[in-house]
Amino acid sequence: MIAAVIQIVFFLLFVCVLLGLYRLARGPSVLDRVLAFDLITTCVVGMIILLSIQWQTTLFLELILVFALLGFMTTVAFVIHLRQTRQRPSPPAGAQTSQTEV
Amino acid sequence: MTALLTIVCLLLGAALMLTAAIGVVRLPDVLCRSHAVAKALTLGIFLLLMALWLQLEDPRQGLKIILAIFFQVLTIPVSSHLIGLVSRREPREVDGSGANRDEKG
Repeated sequence: MIAAVIQIVFFLLFVCVLLGLYRLARGPSVLDRVLAFDLITTCVVGMIILLSIQWQTTLFLELILVFALLGFMTTVAFVIHLRQTRQRPSPPAGAQTSQTEV
Repeated sequence: MTALLTIVCLLLGAALMLTAAIGVVRLPDVLCRSHAVAKALTLGIFLLLMALWLQLEDPRQGLKIILAIFFQVLTIPVSSHLIGLVSRREPREVDGSGANRDEKG
């Protein structure tokens, strides 16, 4: 019973990854692509959860932690990079004060 | 009973994640998409992790699952909040692919 449900849920997560790839290819701005990448990372974490339910193992719990934190770190790195590259070409008059505010 | 609860958690979690994916594809701009990711995806991955916790035979491994739930519930809303902060500064690029959005003016 659980095996069949795992198959169905795996298919649903596969559809999620395909929709995320569509937005990743089509997204008008970079932020859409970052958001779609976040969605794909979380769907892959869900797939790891399904595999460790099916195989009845606890080996992959560390892998779940690593994937979750890597997805968060890539998003934060992209956001910091975007903010820096958008402030650099046209620095306002008070550049020192305006960079510290959020 | 545990198996039934696991099945309910798995199906609800997958349905919520599919909702988040459909929201990312269908909603018109970046702020709406980050809204879809922040709420539906967090609850979906939370339910999948609860299903994994119900299926473990060793309950002591649940501490790591609590850690994973903590990280996921903390990091997904924070990352989409950061995306919202960055997207506030630039003009919106509305991608009206099928979504009906009432534009006033």
